Amino acid sequence: MTQEDVLFQTDQASEADDQSPEAANAAKTEKYLLFLSDGLLFGVPAEAVVEIITGHTVTRLPLVPDYVRGIINLRGQIIPIVDIHQLLSHQDCASNCMMILQENDSEVGILVDQVQKMVDIDTSALLPVPPRSSRELVCGMYSLEDGQTMLAFDCARLLEHT
Amino acid sequence: MSTGNESILDAFLYETNSLLEQLDSIVLAAEQQDSFSEDDVNTIFRIMHTIKGSSAMMEYNSLMTIAHRAEDLFSIIRDKSMDGVPESLRPELFDLLFQTIDFFRGELEHIENEQPLTEDIDTLLQKVNRLIDQIRSGGQPEQAPAAPAAGDAAAPKADAAPAQQPAAQPAAAAPAGSPSGFPYGLQVFFDEGCGMENLRALMLVNSVKEICSEEDFTYEPQGVESNPSTADQIIESGFLIFFREQAQRDNAIHAVTSSGSVRSYQAIDRPAAEAAPAASAPAAAPAAAPKADAPAAPAAPKTEKKAAPSAASKAEPAPQQHHKESLISVNLSKLDQLAAVVGEIVITESMVTASPDLKGLKLDTFTKSARQLRKLTDELQDVSMSLRMVPVSGTFQKMHRIVRDMCKKLNKQARLVLEGEDTEVDKTIVDSIGDPIMHIVRNSMDHGIEEDVQQRIDAGKDPVGTIVLSARHTGSEVIIEIKDDGQGVNYDAVLNKAIRNGLAQPDVEYSHKDILNFLMAPGFSTNTEVTEFSGRGVGMDVVKRNVEDVGGTVYITSEPGQGMTTTLKIPLTMAIMDGMEVSVGGSIFTIPILNIRQSFKISENDLIRDASGGEMFKCMGNFYPVIRMGDLYQIDGGVTSVADGILIWLEAGEKSYCLFVDELLGEQQVVVKPLPGYLNRFNVKSSGIAGCTILGDGNISIILDVSNLYTYAQ
Repeated sequence: MTQEDVLFQTDQASEADDQSPEAANAAKTEKYLLFLSDGLLFGVPAEAVVEIITGHTVTRLPLVPDYVRGIINLRGQIIPIVDIHQLLSHQDCASNCMMILQENDSEVGILVDQVQKMVDIDTSALLPVPPRSSRELVCGMYSLEDGQTMLAFDCARLLEHT
Repeated sequence: MSTGNESILDAFLYETNSLLEQLDSIVLAAEQQDSFSEDDVNTIFRIMHTIKGSSAMMEYNSLMTIAHRAEDLFSIIRDKSMDGVPESLRPELFDLLFQTIDFFRGELEHIENEQPLTEDIDTLLQKVNRLIDQIRSGGQPEQAPAAPAAGDAAAPKADAAPAQQPAAQPAAAAPAGSPSGFPYGLQVFFDEGCGMENLRALMLVNSVKEICSEEDFTYEPQGVESNPSTADQIIESGFLIFFREQAQRDNAIHAVTSSGSVRSYQAIDRPAAEAAPAASAPAAAPAAAPKADAPAAPAAPKTEKKAAPSAASKAEPAPQQHHKESLISVNLSKLDQLAAVVGEIVITESMVTASPDLKGLKLDTFTKSARQLRKLTDELQDVSMSLRMVPVSGTFQKMHRIVRDMCKKLNKQARLVLEGEDTEVDKTIVDSIGDPIMHIVRNSMDHGIEEDVQQRIDAGKDPVGTIVLSARHTGSEVIIEIKDDGQGVNYDAVLNKAIRNGLAQPDVEYSHKDILNFLMAPGFSTNTEVTEFSGRGVGMDVVKRNVEDVGGTVYITSEPGQGMTTTLKIPLTMAIMDGMEVSVGGSIFTIPILNIRQSFKISENDLIRDASGGEMFKCMGNFYPVIRMGDLYQIDGGVTSVADGILIWLEAGEKSYCLFVDELLGEQQVVVKPLPGYLNRFNVKSSGIAGCTILGDGNISIILDVSNLYTYAQ
């Protein structure tokens, strides 16, 4: 990302800030949790996040694709762990920080490099992914106030993914 | 009711109550839509079928009759589809369903409170019948019957009233008593204000005459054809008919119910007969004896009234304590939660007591308390596990009653043999297999065991048929088998029937297996008659559906002339089994102990290689293929030299082979947990993984499916 890009985006963000009082009233905001994986900034709706855990031993499963890291025992519940790093760039994720997500009654854990913070985002300003640069597991893009671009993580897609 | 029946009664109450709840919600939702979906109709049909079946088993005839008619009603709706029910009839249909539900609820309450059941079910029955007729005739609503519908709505409530004063019934029945030689009485009341009661009674007598000869019954008051004043007496105390034989009365009841204007009827020796048939007949006879000389004397009933209740009360069982359900239903998710928390406690406890901080300290009291704590947590763990596990014996025992009753009704001879009753199965499984087993046992009794004993003798079989009901655990499944030694499935007859029902194509060749599958298709029934027990063709459909709901499978095998075996294979959702923990590389696997024959420590020379590079091991005169677990599952870091590892000889069904692993870690009782649904897409099941279990230290061990593992390795 070049310096110019950043400046431009900052401007845009502040513009958005200026109009925010009225926009905020009209638009629906939702809390998203930001995390890093493979150097990309992802965001996932906070209500989909069950918990964030570190240091759980992952039991490897034989004969499953590489991106399925294995299963963990979370207080008696067996939860599959998916390495989205591996899914996106075919490299193992080095961190052992897991985020347990819930979608349609099924739970799945994803390995993430770093969990950042919660942000309020305006769901109406969530932009679709440009078709050309379409990445797997991303269902939208959003420009944050600090100029960074958040990729909205597609939880449902992960559970459908084969 | 004897104490042995207590648990059956509890189960019956609980089951029927929950069915009624389900029914209620379906009807409520359907009323909003003003129509039943196909699913609704099928479900209601099944509910009625189950209520009918279990009421028949408990000998609650009134419940059974109503459920039977309601089932008929839905059978028609199922065939015609909801469109066949004209708009104008729909409100009546919904009303009727709610009345039926209320009736069932009321009766269940009576049963719970040890009160006699309402005998008077005619109003409701008539309404159901009328509706059936109307729907059949394409629904030109007959004006006359439709009009009193509002008035009828109140009737069931009125019907319930007599039952709330149990004493009133025997008293009312007794005044007449029965003339000697005619012990089986029938008391008939006509519709209020219908007029000409004496002539209606005469018509009744005439229709009874068609059934049995004049000498076999008598009635009072006499002279109904000539004396109009008898009408008042009939209004007052009913019209009484007495029979010599019980069977004759039973036939007459049909005649009575089909004749018009009959408000209610009552079999007089009935309250006592229910509890103690032997006691009731003598009790009724002496009470009646003095009466025979003075028929219809108005004064007589008064004196009788005093004698009769005391006679009747003797026949009644000793009053019992207020009966309440001792079962409560707990949401399974709460039990899961409990099990999870207990597991955590056990782990945390060992973390505390084995804390590195305690090293080198001498803490007598602490050690003592810690030991106490360990004991308690162990106990807690046992209890929380046992909560979900129940032996199948409860469900199996129920079948004894069914076999016995059906033997009597169908006039067949059969016995039930139970095997593996104490197999413990998860509660959810027990709940879901009760109905299927009942249906299968009934089918075996009805269609399997030969009609005629001579047929069995000719075939060289024991005249008394045998139905074997067995349960056992295999590594990953509970297997329930219902086996009869009857005539087996007649493939041609089944196929013909399937073709007639449009399930099969006439010009296609079907294998025996395909033909057996037709048995489980909805709406299939080989019996041409609809009987109380089976023959409606929902039976096997219910079986398949219920078993599939818990992820199981149903197989039927049959040998003509040798009988039929139905096998239910149900996966363990959460069952306890003995497992052997083995390690391969860094991973731990659990092998069901049941599958392990033996383990060997061998050297490289003991292995024999075949042409394609496969390894074999010779043991007890046979060669067995060797599967190296580390290679199969691509686990790095395991033992490669044969001498360093261990060979386990496994057997599952027909498959027998040796598995090479690093080390045996020890035997352990484990709770089987299914793998998360997310992993199903990777076909983990077919690669030999049955589930997983949580070890004492919180780590996960993968449970192997010995049979699938071999198939995968091939």
